[in-house]
This record gives sequence, C-alpha cells and structure tokens, in this order.
Amino acid sequence: MESDEEGIYDVESDASINYNSSDDGIYSEGENTAHGEANDFMDEPTSYKCLTSDQIFNYMMKVVDEVNAILQLPPHITCILLNHFKWDKEKLMERYYEGDQDKIFEEAQTINPFRLKGKVVSSNTNNITSFSMQSTKRPLTTQEVCDICYLPSQHMNGLQCGHFFCIDCWNEYLRIKIIDEGQGQKIACPANDCNILTDYETILSLLRGSDIKTKYHQRLTDGFVMSHHLMKWCPSPGCSVVVKVTTAGTRNVTCICGHAFCFHCLQPIHEPVRCPLLKKWLRKCNDDSETAHWISANTKECPKCRATIEKNGGCNHMICQNKSCKFDFCWICLSAWSPHGSSWYNCNRYDANDSVAARTAQEKSRAALNRYLFYCDRYMNHRQSLELEHKLYSKIKFKMEEMQQHNMSWIEVQFLKKAVDILCKCRNTLKYTYVFAFYLRSNNQATIFEANQKDLEMATERLSEYLERDVTTDELSNIKQKVQDKAKYCEGRCEALLRHVYEGYDMDLWEYLDE
Amino acid sequence: MANISISRVKREFAEVVKSEEAKRCGICIKMLNENNFTKLLGEITGPPDTPYEGGKFLVDIEIPDSYPFNPPKMKFITRIWHPNISSVTGAICLDILKDNWAAALTLRTVLMSLQVLLSAAEPDDPQDAVVAKQYNENIHLFMKTARHWSEAYAKARPIKTQDFHEKVRKLSETGFSDDSCRTALSKSGWDEQRGMETLLDS
Ligand SMILES: [Zn+2]
Ligand SMILES: [Zn+2]
Ligand SMILES: [Zn+2]
Ligand SMILES: [Zn+2]
Ligand SMILES: [Zn+2]
Ligand SMILES: [Zn+2]
Repeated sequence: MESDEEGIYDVESDASINYNSSDDGIYSEGENTAHGEANDFMDEPTSYKCLTSDQIFNYMMKVVDEVNAILQLPPHITCILLNHFKWDKEKLMERYYEGDQDKIFEEAQTINPFRLKGKVVSSNTNNITSFSMQSTKRPLTTQEVCDICYLPSQHMNGLQCGHFFCIDCWNEYLRIKIIDEGQGQKIACPANDCNILTDYETILSLLRGSDIKTKYHQRLTDGFVMSHHLMKWCPSPGCSVVVKVTTAGTRNVTCICGHAFCFHCLQPIHEPVRCPLLKKWLRKCNDDSETAHWISANTKECPKCRATIEKNGGCNHMICQNKSCKFDFCWICLSAWSPHGSSWYNCNRYDANDSVAARTAQEKSRAALNRYLFYCDRYMNHRQSLELEHKLYSKIKFKMEEMQQHNMSWIEVQFLKKAVDILCKCRNTLKYTYVFAFYLRSNNQATIFEANQKDLEMATERLSEYLERDVTTDELSNIKQKVQDKAKYCEGRCEALLRHVYEGYDMDLWEYLDE
Repeated sequence: MANISISRVKREFAEVVKSEEAKRCGICIKMLNENNFTKLLGEITGPPDTPYEGGKFLVDIEIPDSYPFNPPKMKFITRIWHPNISSVTGAICLDILKDNWAAALTLRTVLMSLQVLLSAAEPDDPQDAVVAKQYNENIHLFMKTARHWSEAYAKARPIKTQDFHEKVRKLSETGFSDDSCRTALSKSGWDEQRGMETLLDS
C-alpha cells in the first residue's frame, strides 16, 4: 500500500522540505556523503522528508481526494470515513460497495449526506459543498436560545444532526477538546446523547484564532500519521513536524527543528547501540534512583587539594581552579591527566580483575553495582559534556567572526562549525558506546571494540580541548590546519568504531550479558 | 471562560426554581453563599417504591470554571447505602458525570438521573464493592439495610427497621459511635458478633 501511494500522491514535488535545505542540524551527515565514502550504517539524508503540519494536512487531503474521485462524497465526510477505517482505502471501498452504506456512516459516527438530499434548503446547491455545515446555518433573522449558555444568539451553528449552539459556546467547547484534551478527528457534537462527529470543514469555519486552527490541523492529522508506518511526529516538545521516511529501514533522522532522533524508538540518536538495548538501559537508569542521584552530581572535588570544581565545559581534562594547586586530572576517573594523553590511556575500560576478586555474594553484588556505576558515570559524563558543548557553538561563532575580519571568507571559516558538529557526533556516539559496553560479554571482538572506544575517546578529548582552550590563544594561521586534522582524525575513529559494531551486528559477533 | 459558566448556572438556577417537573419529583438546588455559583447544594427526595422513599438526600455540587463543557463535581453528603455510591465518601459512579457528560445536560437533569439511579442501581458498575456484593447476594438484606440508612441519615419515615436501630443502639454501648456501629453491622450482614469483630479490626 505504501509504495503505490508514493507514485500517486507525489508529495515530494511540492509538499516537502528537503533535508538539505536546513543547515542547523547538529549532526551534519551531509558531510559523509559528500566525501563519497562507503558508510552503510549511516542513513542517507535523502531517505526522509520533513513535512510541516500544513503539508501533512495537504497530503492527507490528497488521499481524501483520491478516494473521493470514486465515492463522490463531500471531502469532510470522506475524511471521517477514512479515519474510521484507519486510512485503509481498500477496506473502506470494499465495505462501501459491499452493501449497507447506512451502517458504515453510522459506525463512523456521521450522517449519510445522500439521506439529507432535498431535506436541507441550501443557498449553495450548485456543488458538492452544499452538504456541508454552511447549509445548516440557520437564517440570521431568528434569535434562538443556545442550549449551552442559555443566552439568545443570532449565530447558531450545528452539524447535520440538527443540534445548534451559539458560536461562543462552540469555540469554548472546541478549545477544551483541541487544546486541553488534544483531540481532532474524534470531537463529537456537544449535544447530549449525540455521537455525530464534527468535520474539519465545520470546525475550521467555526474556529476563531489562527493558533487554535494550527493546533487543530495537527490533531486532525494524528490518526492519519499514526496509521502510516513510514511517518512519525518529531518527538521534540512543541515541534509539529512529521518525518516521513522512504523505507522502513531508515533509522537516524534530523527534523528541520534541529532535533535528531531515532525513527524507530523516537529517542535521540543512539548509535551504535540498538533500540531494545537502549530501552533496557534507560529503564535501568530510571529504576535506580539512588545511583541516579549519585551520578547527577555536577561537581567533584579536586583529587589533590579537595577544592570543589564545577564542570563548565565539555572537556574532561580538568585543571584545578585553586591557584596554588592547578592539578591536571581526568574528570571521569579523577586520576592525573598526564597518562591520558599517551597511548596507554586506560580510562574507558572497567578492570575486570577487580570483579574477579569479589568472593562473597555481597561483594559480587557490590561489584555488579560498581560495574553499573562505572559505565553509567561515563555515559552521564559524555551526556553532560554534550550539553555543555552547545556553549561551544556560540564561542566558535565569535571566533569565526574574528577570523572573517582577518581576510578569511565566510566559507573558509565554516571548518570551525563543522569541527564542533563532529565533536558533538563523536561525544554522542561515545555516550552510547558505554551502554553497548555495559551489556557486552567480553570476547575478542569486544576487546577490539574497547580499543576503538579508547581511541575515539582520546581523539574526542583532544579535539574538545583544542576547541575549548587553545583555539582562542593559538596563531590564526595555525588554527585551521590543526582543527581540520584533529576533526578529521576524530571522524575517522568514529566511523571505524561504528563500522566495526555494525559489522558485528551483521555477522552476529556480539554476545550479551544477561541482566 | 468563567462568564459562560456563571451565566449558565444563574439561568439554570432560575429554571429549577420555576420548574414544575423538578418540584413534582422532589428536586431542588440551593445556594450555599450569596453570589457564589461555584458551590451549590442539591436535594433529592428518595423515589417511591424504593428503600429511599421519603428520604431527603443532600448532594454537594461543585461547578468547575469550564462548566458546562466539563461536568459538575457531585457527591452525596447524606450517607446512603447504594451499590453505585460510596458508603464512606459519598462518591458517585455515574456515566454522565464522567465520559458521557454533554454540555447540553444541566444540574437538574443530573439530579434527576441521580434519582433514577436510586430506583435502578447498576451493580455491575459498582462504586462500593461491599454494598454491590450484598446487593447481588442477598437483595432482601440489601433493601432492608438501605431502608435503615435512609431512616437513620435521610429522615425517611415511617420507621420500618426498628430491629436494626436496636442493634446499633446495643452495639454502641461498647463506646463506638452510632455511625461506626451501623457501618460495621451493615458490612457484616447485621450479625452482632461479626459486627463487633469488624469494629475491632478497623
Ligand atoms: Zn451558547
Ligand atoms: Zn448532535
Ligand atoms: Zn522537530
Ligand atoms: Zn532507537
Ligand atoms: Zn586542586
Ligand atoms: Zn580518566
């Protein structure tokens, strides 16, 4: 059903925004394809579209029109019928031509417009819209008392069921249904014991205010979007964009609002870990409030002088702010920073020998907790760094302006923003490598994975440190080369790690610990 | 929009006062404070041929700001023995006070529905499990208990459950309040021994 829809409605031509039209995405995946590198684990930017609520409404209406070419009903009635059949066109047609049409209208909670023919006097009889609600507006001369507010009104409106209410009451009723209850397609007539559903044409003609109309458009398309397995609402709060993928395999998408998420589970992009494992991890983190408390601390003590140090940048290389101490240490393991710069950087790996040493059951459970805390702490650290990295964008922007004043063009200074993009992507990947590692049973491949993780972590910290500290002091002439080298290296490490993990998935190399 | 809510309640109020039907059925609405249309008091007369006959049942009515688009909040103030009304809190299980509320319904129609509920309980959708169990298992005992509660709390006359009043009086000599004794006995099928145990357990 999906594939033929593509052909018929051709939304790509007018009703879509191309991913590439936006350049504020944090994860600039376009870069990867531009290099033409083979990276089958990345989703092509062209494999999805972002549709605004108006576009999705138009798309929905195209489906309605398509069905209507056959059914010949007023579009707002067809819309109610289609929604009743969960947007399964074939099922609606089959039932419609099978026989009992009145029963279909009744089930769908609407009124068969053919039953009303001749009954309704309309000023607008020349086309199909004569069925619509406008025709049920009563003549303006009579004043009637509204059954809701009990006040006389000249503006009485109602659905085909014949229950009339004043325009103020309609608006208040619809506001509660649309805004407070988040309803759209399933708003019934306010009369007692009447289950006739409102149609979009009536509602749009009654609603006052563009905000509520926009909201209504969104809610109206909910059923349509949910019934379509290649479309999902962007989960970012307040965002009303629908992401539509071309194939069910598409995983990582970036909404035009900038929010990057996993199309399958709606969590933020979580490479390389897969959705079920992530879900398990998130549940574990939520369950463990005590440890969550333990890891949420944003401050640590200097391991040497015990001065309290607050982390205010993403870099894990800390320098104690106590002027007489100035100890260089690693935020993650709290040991001296100096070995971290060299190749025996060992901060990413939990020493399994420690847990082997655990003898009694109590020690074992403590070892299990320590193991969890070890991975959780690293996960939280990268998460926190990632949040702080967003400060870096404004810092870098400042630097870019400065460089433009020194004879560099706008295009030439974009390398800095790209470097921060890469930094964020690497941090995000690192964050989830600790989730993956937590569930991973050690084997040869796991050892290779840990080595890749270590390399990526080291490369990321170097890039982070450079962008955060040295870029402000270094000679302008040196910066570009250094940033590009470090970023490119980082990106290479990240791709290597991801490729290895994805190959492992394909070849079934990963073994998991039962938890 | 509070102004729809207030103008609507004012109108309804005037309508109930005039309504012949309301008078005939023994339904009225009172204001608790002058010019306060958010806290009202409803009164329902127990319908004939039911254990509630002749009783006066007071109902607490709270009008939300979003009235009439959302239902009024109602609960019984007068204690009542009924499967769809909590014998402890007076909370009511009635569809039109929840999902099936419609803006065109009124306080009067809700009170009349409550009156109908008193004549025709719906034990399959119970609010009070103990009462519903008794209703299903021993309808005769349920009727008599409900009558007794109406006499004790809703001033229903004539007194038809003298033996129950006597049991409550005897049990209350232990120092427990009449209300606690009545509840304990009602929940124990009016067995004095079990009633005493229920009292001590609670
Ligand atoms: Zn009105
Ligand atoms: Zn209606
Ligand atoms: Zn979005
Ligand atoms: Zn996912
Ligand atoms: Zn220090
Ligand atoms: Zn470390």
